[in-house]
Amino acid sequence: MLKIKNLTTVFGTKKVLDDISLSVDKGQIAVLLGSSGVGKSTLLRVLNNLEKCGQGEVFLDDKKLDLTTVNQTHTIGMVFQNFNLFEHLTVEQNITLALEKVQNMTPEKAHDIAIKLLTSYGLKDKGKSYVSQLSGGQKQRLAIVRTLALKPNVICLDEPTSALDPLLTTYVAGTIQELAAQGFVVLVATHDVMLLEKLSCTIHLMKDGKIIESADSKAFFNNREQYKKLNDFVAGTQEA
Amino acid sequence: MIDFNLVSDSLPFLLRGALVTLQIAGLGCLFGITFGTFLGLLHSGKNKIICWLITMYVILIRGTPMLMHIMFAYYVLPQLGIELPVFWAAIAAISLNSAAYVSQIIKSGISAVSSGQKEAAKTLGFSSAQIAWYIVLPQAFRIVLPALGNEFITLIKDSSLASIIGVAELMREGSIIKSRTFDAISIYCAVALIYLVMTTTLSIFINQLEKRMNRHVKN
Repeated sequence: MLKIKNLTTVFGTKKVLDDISLSVDKGQIAVLLGSSGVGKSTLLRVLNNLEKCGQGEVFLDDKKLDLTTVNQTHTIGMVFQNFNLFEHLTVEQNITLALEKVQNMTPEKAHDIAIKLLTSYGLKDKGKSYVSQLSGGQKQRLAIVRTLALKPNVICLDEPTSALDPLLTTYVAGTIQELAAQGFVVLVATHDVMLLEKLSCTIHLMKDGKIIESADSKAFFNNREQYKKLNDFVAGTQEA
Repeated sequence: MIDFNLVSDSLPFLLRGALVTLQIAGLGCLFGITFGTFLGLLHSGKNKIICWLITMYVILIRGTPMLMHIMFAYYVLPQLGIELPVFWAAIAAISLNSAAYVSQIIKSGISAVSSGQKEAAKTLGFSSAQIAWYIVLPQAFRIVLPALGNEFITLIKDSSLASIIGVAELMREGSIIKSRTFDAISIYCAVALIYLVMTTTLSIFINQLEKRMNRHVKN
């Protein structure tokens, strides 16, 4: 279980994360929902040591995490909004580079892992292609595979469907659900209500760096008024 | 007008000079690119004092002529207790001059690589040095290759300045033959042609390298 306790982050004089507390079990999906600039991505970036954590604690299976070392221990992985794939490398090299250079794996072993993952995500025949030769959906899958190859306990996805069409959104929702089914703790930051409709998850509504309401996704989607409220909240026209 | 017999007789001397020109330009390029890349990486970092020092170095080198750097290396350094043979004095001056320009070219290449890729590499556990070596520099070099190519072509031509301190490079060899034969037109046309062959060959090589390094970019 991932437990975040009273996490606060300040940029200059602005509190971008204000006393955030939440827990996510293994095999569960937590979605941070809110309009732009409410701190969803910042929370994921703090967990991935891309921003400094001000105050608060993070626990994984009741063991306190040192966020400054999560990148080296590969406890938490991140899939970025713009994928941030390495454009000068082939699809396979995008996966094997970290395995070989960070985890000191042999090229053969890294190759085997890459092929296995690429096959599971329908990218086997793209191993020798370059990133620029992939479609948006394929890039998204490669970004997920690159993170999965390092076997993190927690996977963070930042706006995973912002660059995708509705059909691919359905596919990505299936992939996220699958990640949870494999036992990962999954954290998703999004403002895409269409993605939420396809996920079985806990929704945390965020505003001004705070989590203002948390509920199971069914509670929002089985109730018309709640659903409208959710849409209005994302559009920034309702306080929740 | 052009005495081809004289050119033919002078060719071994001119080619010997061309070889020295290539050695000066090649070594100047090698040291310049190594030192320049190092400076470019440091200049792209966050240490303000180091950035300021590199900026001062670049201002100093870019604001003064290469001829003066060559004179400095050959005539001033011995007075400071550093005595270099004439060939190495020329290479030291050209390398230090080139490094200033290369550092700025590399810096622009580094800033053109998306910060997102650097962040992704960080989350994958790469160290800062590994991010620079495996992610940033290969892409930065691809981006700045045309600019680096221009710099090295300029270096081949500027190496002729080393003739001032007596390095027997192509220009110097040509001038010696001209002062012996007084046939300036034949000798200098031959010298110009050899420079043209060297710079054109380098241009073709850089174009090929550019195509190879851009193979991952979608047409």
